[in-house]
Amino acid sequence: MRQNPLMMFLRIVVFAIAVFVLNFPLIATLLTSFKSDAEISANPALWIDQPTLANYAGILAIRDRFDIFHYLGNSVFAAGVGAVLATLLAFPAAYAIVRHEVGERWLLPMVTNLRAIPLIIFSIPIYLVYQQLHLLDTKIGLALILCLVNLPLVLALIVNGIRSLPIEVEEAARVDGANTFAILTRIVLPMALPAIASSLILAFIYSWNEFLFGLILTTQNAVPMTVGASFFFSASGGGVQWGIASAVMIISTLPPLLISLVAYRYIGRSLAAGAVKG
Amino acid sequence: MKRLKSVLLALAALAAASTSSLADVTVLGWPGGPEEAGLRKAAEAYNGTAAADDKVKLIFFNREGFWDKLQADLAAGSTEFDINLLATYAIGKYAPFMEPITLPASAKDVFGEKTLTTMQYDGKQYGVPTDLSMHFMYYRKDLIEKLLTDKDWQAKYAEISEKYLGKKLTPVDPDKWTWDDWAATALFFTKAVNPESPVRYGTVLQMKNLLFNMMVFGSLPRSYGANWTDASGNVTVDSPAYRTALELYKKLYDAGATPKDSLSYEFAETNAALGSGQAATALQWNAAAADLNDATKSPAIAGKIEAVAPPAGPDGRFTHIHGLGFGLNKASTHKDSALKFLDWLATADAMEIYAKAGGSPAVSDAITAKLPERPDLAKLGAFANAYGFVMNGATSANALSVYEAQAKAFTGYWAGTLTLDAALAQAQADMTKLLK
Amino acid sequence: MEIADRRIPYLLVTPLTAFLLALLAVPLAIDLVYSVSRVTFETLRAPRLIGLGNFVAVIQDAGFWQALWFSLKFAVAASVAQLVLGLFLAVFLAPLLKKVPWLMALLMLPMMLAPALVGLMYRLVLHEFVGVVPYYLYLYTGDSPAFLDAANAFRTLVTIEVLQWTPFALLILYSAYAGISDDVREAAAIDGAGALKILRHIDLPLMLPTIVITFFFRFIDSFRVFDNVYVLTGSGAGGSTTTISIFIYEAFFRRNDIGFAVAASLIFLALSFLVLIGLLRLGRRHA
Repeated sequence: MRQNPLMMFLRIVVFAIAVFVLNFPLIATLLTSFKSDAEISANPALWIDQPTLANYAGILAIRDRFDIFHYLGNSVFAAGVGAVLATLLAFPAAYAIVRHEVGERWLLPMVTNLRAIPLIIFSIPIYLVYQQLHLLDTKIGLALILCLVNLPLVLALIVNGIRSLPIEVEEAARVDGANTFAILTRIVLPMALPAIASSLILAFIYSWNEFLFGLILTTQNAVPMTVGASFFFSASGGGVQWGIASAVMIISTLPPLLISLVAYRYIGRSLAAGAVKG
Repeated sequence: MKRLKSVLLALAALAAASTSSLADVTVLGWPGGPEEAGLRKAAEAYNGTAAADDKVKLIFFNREGFWDKLQADLAAGSTEFDINLLATYAIGKYAPFMEPITLPASAKDVFGEKTLTTMQYDGKQYGVPTDLSMHFMYYRKDLIEKLLTDKDWQAKYAEISEKYLGKKLTPVDPDKWTWDDWAATALFFTKAVNPESPVRYGTVLQMKNLLFNMMVFGSLPRSYGANWTDASGNVTVDSPAYRTALELYKKLYDAGATPKDSLSYEFAETNAALGSGQAATALQWNAAAADLNDATKSPAIAGKIEAVAPPAGPDGRFTHIHGLGFGLNKASTHKDSALKFLDWLATADAMEIYAKAGGSPAVSDAITAKLPERPDLAKLGAFANAYGFVMNGATSANALSVYEAQAKAFTGYWAGTLTLDAALAQAQADMTKLLK
Repeated sequence: MEIADRRIPYLLVTPLTAFLLALLAVPLAIDLVYSVSRVTFETLRAPRLIGLGNFVAVIQDAGFWQALWFSLKFAVAASVAQLVLGLFLAVFLAPLLKKVPWLMALLMLPMMLAPALVGLMYRLVLHEFVGVVPYYLYLYTGDSPAFLDAANAFRTLVTIEVLQWTPFALLILYSAYAGISDDVREAAAIDGAGALKILRHIDLPLMLPTIVITFFFRFIDSFRVFDNVYVLTGSGAGGSTTTISIFIYEAFFRRNDIGFAVAASLIFLALSFLVLIGLLRLGRRHA
């Protein structure tokens, strides 16, 4: 399409404003993470008098007691396995729901509606079950729950993605003698990749942010980042060490950011490809 | 075959290693701050002498949600920890899942009777009291000194106190304050009331709907004679004492004597407000003292902050106290070893180590005398004995819920969504249900 | 071959169904028992059956309906704002994002802060003396409001939710928008349709199923908001910011009334199921 340079400039301006406004809390956090305690109590502005790495150093200095890489690793594993597993389970089911109308009336609404339950009510029953299965305080146990939590979103997004695909390609392949498995992996999967990739990213992010189950189901081996974060910044009597809290938060956004960047290259590419093909 | 043998041997060694680590005593503590520092040093010292099977290791839960997580674990019979943190206000709630303990007789000399009771429920000892929490009235020395000497300020002070409190007051030393003196001082140092005030607010009230804030607030009604229940167990929250106290908070809030967002303030916000140098006084937890006088954390006010016991009311001077301590998980599989550690923790030597590393135990003068670097500990013990109180029912199974019911009703009144009568009626009804 | 083929769709939904059964069947059964029992943390393994008393208690509890009403207001305000803002950004920024795809990552960043930590950070950002927002308001206007008092808490909380989750709507809606073939648009353009007309008659109808799904998930997620509100205002002055999740959490852990909490959740679930069925019908009809 033709691009009007003035419109493009306007888009860049809107983009810049959106990035600044939406990310305002993050920007404030980033700046705070480079301020000393003394400066935080004296200078709330969006500039730094005396930048310091002390907050980051402070986090690394206590690695023998609270190892931030341990918590990050737990979260990457649990959120990664949870998101991938949810996608693996949801993709074939979504295809059956859309193209064969199997489970459209019961499975889809039931799974989607899981999202609406306040998860707290499952905390104790799942705790009791996990206790029997020795899944408490394990990364895989946490991953299974994160998968469950994100299945509704993943299933709905992939169903939506497959529904928007043209059925003609599949029909042509079937006429050519391709079986369902081949159609699923060689035709539907590549075309549904944008939907799959975005649901993977979102599932990972949601899993990354999950707090309640991380708190209830882990004690030391599988503690995720959201729960471990407070180990670093809580002070006596309910106080908060703001500088360290900011640094912990900045560090904890890096893995989802990296994963999104990588995944987004795929989305971008397949979106471009998909638009041409469709 | 040989390989199989070595694999089996390795497995056996692994199993032995894991069982010996199973024999360790696991202590669940509170992360961050001096409680953690104290516990680490104490555990280190203990492990230096303890037998292999008795050594302790530490784990921590997130502070946000700590008590809920602990409740889930204890109720499900978790054996992940043998010893866990306990607090006076939660002792009734967790007692069903904990094992009463018998401390060595010497513990009485170390802590004193009153401090030991902060870890008692139903007449039984449930823990070793390692930290004591209470409230200090913090104030800006520089501002108060000027108020006590400056004639113009004193004239203005009299004018303001007459207008807002209905009586002409003259400034007095904070250690002799009544709540009215404090209120008059708070109003005087409020820009909205007195444009000449060098600071924006006269005080910082913690008014968030949060159970801990009701502990801070409680010292005020208590000094007017308030209690949760009378001797026969009837709830007495709908009383003139609570009425007076609630109205005083509301008056200060409405007059702008406390930051606008006080309805969302708790410990951290209060410290930040004081630390910015824009507030003259605040009733705040003792744990704040170190940060407020630390020049690297609060450069604007370090060295200018003094702390005294809360002001006096008609019934005297009071501060809420509660203890933190360590008790025995009923489901523990290493009770003997765990008891050894708890017994040791209750000794004078252990408490000296704990306090040196930053903990705040209320201990006998003989021990505080050995800790010249912690003058606040002597104050802690003295205040606890002179002014400490625990409301009737404040260690019962529903104590936390009582604080929560109060927080909901009282903050509703302060925010203006409930009348005073409605708020007190609501608190009375909820508390009656919880304390029956 | 024929028979096998007919079985295949069922095979495809089997892993998902099996996973759900394995993980959820027992907990769900426990919850169903809890919902008709008097059960506390002391009696987790020995609930006492009491029939439908919990459901009656929930329906009669004014606090439940207040929390539901607050959550409904919150969810409507937040999800409509997120949808409109996300849709605008998705369509308006599409040419730019198509050229430089990784720019999307910058727009997705807000989602990567855990809501519990976001709530904590706002305690600093909105603080009158050490917060950056009041600082600039004082600097340029000479005054700063109370962001979290009874009058403003709702607006502040909605704004926080919208800032964090508009990127969700943006990402999904942009994917749908970019997935529409340019051929369709160009054909319309050749027929003389303007940009707005193309948007209204081609893009939006094609995006409608996605719009419905986006709205549903943002609505549900905002409806059951917990972490950031809990950290920031708790249940609010006088309980004024008690969301349905906070209400259930407090019944569960603080009031130690697990049966009541589960019953409240089930009633809430039934209500949301009705909404979902309606939305799914709507989405399917237009698809």
